[in-house]
Formats: sequence, structure tokens, C-alpha cells
Amino acid sequence: MNDGTEPTAIELIGVTKTFDRGIVHALDNVSLSIKAREWVALTGPSGSGKSTLLHLLAALDEPTSGEIVVNGRKISDISNISEYRRREVGLVFQLHNLLPNLNAVQNVEIAMLGAGISHRESSERAHELLADVGLTARETLRPPELSGGERQRVAIARALANGPSILLADEPTGSLDSSSATSVLELFARIRNDRKLTILLVTHDAQVASAADRVITLKDGRVAAPPSGPESTSPPASTHV
Amino acid sequence: MYFAELVFHNVYTRKTRSLLTGLAIAVSIMTVVTMGVLTNSLRQSAISILRTGTADFSIAQKDVSDVIYSAVDEEDLTAIRSDPGVESVVGVLVAPFKLDDNHPFFLQIGVPPDELTQFGVDVVAGRAYGATVSNETMLGYRTAREFRKSVGDHMMLNGNDYEIVGIYSTGQVFGDSASMLPLVTLQANERKPGTVTLAFVKTKPDTDIEALRARIEHDNPQLATVRTESDFGRVDRNLELLSAANTGVSALALVIGAVTVLNMMVLSVFERTREFGVLRAIGWSRRRILLEVMGEAFVVTLGGAVVGVAAAFVSIRLLRDVEALRGLFNPVYGADVFLRALLITFGMAGFGAFYPAARAALLRPLAAIRHE
Repeated sequence: MNDGTEPTAIELIGVTKTFDRGIVHALDNVSLSIKAREWVALTGPSGSGKSTLLHLLAALDEPTSGEIVVNGRKISDISNISEYRRREVGLVFQLHNLLPNLNAVQNVEIAMLGAGISHRESSERAHELLADVGLTARETLRPPELSGGERQRVAIARALANGPSILLADEPTGSLDSSSATSVLELFARIRNDRKLTILLVTHDAQVASAADRVITLKDGRVAAPPSGPESTSPPASTHV
Repeated sequence: MYFAELVFHNVYTRKTRSLLTGLAIAVSIMTVVTMGVLTNSLRQSAISILRTGTADFSIAQKDVSDVIYSAVDEEDLTAIRSDPGVESVVGVLVAPFKLDDNHPFFLQIGVPPDELTQFGVDVVAGRAYGATVSNETMLGYRTAREFRKSVGDHMMLNGNDYEIVGIYSTGQVFGDSASMLPLVTLQANERKPGTVTLAFVKTKPDTDIEALRARIEHDNPQLATVRTESDFGRVDRNLELLSAANTGVSALALVIGAVTVLNMMVLSVFERTREFGVLRAIGWSRRRILLEVMGEAFVVTLGGAVVGVAAAFVSIRLLRDVEALRGLFNPVYGADVFLRALLITFGMAGFGAFYPAARAALLRPLAAIRHE
């Protein structure tokens, strides 16, 4: 858990993202910061800009204006964006997005290909990560042979493969039953503590959001102020949170 | 997991499509290798006729369809003999005929007995035939061995009974698999008096051979001189056509193979759009995506090529039994044929896979992940 003395891991400064030649404002002058080791839930209704913000942080898209600073570096200044995606952030999708023809170990190992890690080390690391997410006995199975919760655990292990400092999760429990969702959230909590991760989790589920240290709510592409959870902030729209 | 392991795994995952593509590649490469070996072999067989003996160059009729049907007037040779640079000219008549089903293209070679040595013929048993005797012949040692004939035996050749008076060797498979008899006898049998098929020219020391060839061709525009393999097309149009067909088949194989690979990889990339988006999102570079797709194409293409080369050996073995090619087709497995097949293989994979690979590498990860 963040004790307030940690450095800033993520900072958005007046970030705007528009689509359709500026007609649609997915994000409108959003500024916020997240401390290292902080677990933040990003909530809001559909179309509020949650996933867009996550994609900008994962460098899957570029802001129309504004700056995003991750671990002290502006994303716009990074020349090797693949390296950034591999080293700085781990990404967990709602629909796991595992490769169906590879088994669990291979799905984790694949993230380490081209990362300068030896075959032996990547294999050992994949086994360790799968053990860490409780899937040692299932590691030779392919995604179609795994349950939804197990698939999401493999996806989390894959996201952690290259040792990122930030974990970005887009509705990771959105397609899971409540039991599996609880289990995945417990896993997030544990790996945050064990690996000293900063977590930004997008969800529209208040119960999931309540597991986070802090909740930031987006509405119509701007930071809103619904109080949710003991440590959540209630800032005015589009002020720095 | 090794990168190569992933590439092989992806190929194996789509095994039916990979097999079908590999099969198309195999057929293309089989055709390339078979045509290459066939062309080289026929060329070697034909060239060996022109290389028989110790001549510096050969003379044949210009632009005939097949060198075996060349006709050179002996009077022209008399004039050539008078050139100060010429030491000797040996005129020979070559007459092919069907000896039996296994020898549809057996050769009788007419050479004056006093010119056998100049022609490079070494009598290894018995003696040379008489200059004007009509029923004496010599057999090449390969022919004698195959038919189990020796000096003193008789043999029917092209409807005439001959006594075998000698066994010879020329050092050329083509010559040693034939028979020889007096030039005048063969000219009479073939009703070609005063005509030879080829002439073999030996030059005097320090003669400018190229200048001599130019003089001969200038004075005898109906003739062509042959010194190197590249000259051969001037006296044998059939082989030139075969060579051209060989080149055409190679080009066609390259196009067909490349289109087949293109088809397979475009489909594969389309189906795996989301996969490539995910890989880009978890940190794969464009270069690695490009290498993955190209690698899969190379695995399928090289696999097909290996099968194709193996199939070519089988088809060449079958071609040797084709009646029209018996005796003419002694396979020559030149490195150039396999190098060409290898280059075509790489060409198929490279040309066929580059576009889909580049397309996969240039996908925008977010759009790719959302692809249905």
C-alpha cells in the first residue's frame, strides 16, 4: 500500500484525446497523478474515457494534446515504444487475449521473446509466475482447456513476465463470475504487495473498485467526483487528482 | 520457448494449409529440378559429341534444329584444311538409328581409319577397320560390354551385318556407347556422299584460334564453329529452345510459388490480426512480427522444396525409362540446378511473404486487438 511518500509513477497533464477529427472528445483536459505502489481504480460509465486513458498509458494510442509522464519519462519522448510496452507496463485485457494454440507456459514465455532473456531464464520465470498465480498444475493446458478465471491468471502472469513497475488492467473481472472475480482481485492485491507494483484498474463495478486504494471516476472524458471508498478523492471536474 | 520453436509451432498449428502450400511448392521445385537436370543432361550429351577427340574446335552447319542433323560439305573442309593455321581437319558422319527398344537412339559414326587417332580414338582391342571395307565395324567399349560382344563377333546394325574387328575408347560416354565404321561406308549407307555431320579442327601451335574461327565463318557463312558451351546454341536450336523453356519453367514456378505463399500468408495474417495486436501490445517490435511471418513462410517453402527435390530424383529416374530418352538422357546433377532451385525457393518465400508480413508488422495494435 502507498504511504504517501512514494514518488509519482503516472502523471497526466492536460491530456485530451479526440476521435472523428475532433468531434468526439474521449478525454478532455484530464490531469491526474498516481504514486508508485498505489492501486487506483478508474471507474465511470461506458464511454467515459476509461479504456482510452488506459490505452494512452499503455502507449497503444497517442493523446491529441497534453503529456503523459510515466516513471519520470514523457511517453512522447520515448523512441523505442515497444521497449516501453515491454519493460514499463504490464497489460491485462478484459478478454485475456491469450494465444489459443499455446499452452499457459508458452503464453507467458512469448512476452519475453526478444527481451534479451535467455531461453532457460524465460522458462524458469514463466514457471515461477504461473506458480505465483496458482496455476502450476495447469501450466501445460491451452486457454480453451482453462476456466475464465484461470485464463485471466495466465494473462496476469504474462503481464508480469518482464517485471514491469506498472500493471494496467482493463476490466479484468468483467467476464468472470463473482467467485473468480474475487479470486483475481485477491491476486492483484497480493502481487501489488509482493512485487511493489503500481496498479491502474479500469472497472465499472463498484465492488471491484472498492478493492483499490483510491478511485478516480471519469465522466464524459473528464475527471468527476463521486466518492467511493474510504480513500477516494472527490475533486472538481478536470482538476488535478 | 525459442523464437524458432514458435515459428514451427505456428506452421504446425495450421498443418492442412501448410501441407497444401508445401505440396504446391514441392511440385514447382520438382519441375524446376527435373527440367534443369534434363536440360543439362541433354546439353552435356550433345556437347560431348562436339568435344570428342583432341580438336581445338568443331565445325557444324549453322542454325540446325539438332546438331545431329548438321550437314557439312567435304569440299568446304578441303578449303579449310588449306588455311595456314590448320594442322588437321577430321570430318565425321553421325547417323542415329533405333537398334532396339532399349536403344532408340544408337549412333553409328563414320570416320576414315587413318584419322582415328586425330579424332581421339584409342583402339583397345583388335584393329581398326579397313578404309573401304563395307562389313567391318568397331564398337565402343561400353557398347561391347553391354551387348557382350568381342572382336570376331558379328552384329546387325541398321539392317547391315558387320564383323566386329576392334573395340575402341574415346573417353566420352557418348562416343563409347556407339559404333564406328569407315566414313565412305556410312556415307553410302546413309546416301550422303561427300557430306559429314561435324568436323574437328586441330590448329598449329601459336595460331590465333579466334581469328581462325572468324576466317572460317566469314568464308563459309553456312557453317558455325563451336569452341565453348556458350557457342553451342549456334548449331543446335532444339537445346536452345529447351534451355529457354527451362528458364520459363523456373520463372513460372517462382510466380506460382510466390502467389501460393502470398495466398497462405495473407489468409494467416488476416485470421491472426488480433494476435498480432496483442503481441505488439505486450512489447513485440514490428521487426519481430515481420520475422515471425517471414519465418513461417520460409519453413513451409523450404519444407516443400526438400520434398520437391526428393520428388525430382524420382521423376528423373522415371524419365530415364521413357523410350524417347533412352541412351540420350544420362542425368547430370549439376550444382547450378540445385542452386537455382534454392534461389527460387527463397524467392517464393520472400516475394510471397513480404507483403503480408509487412502488413502484420504495420498493424496498429489497438485496432488489431479490436479486430473481430
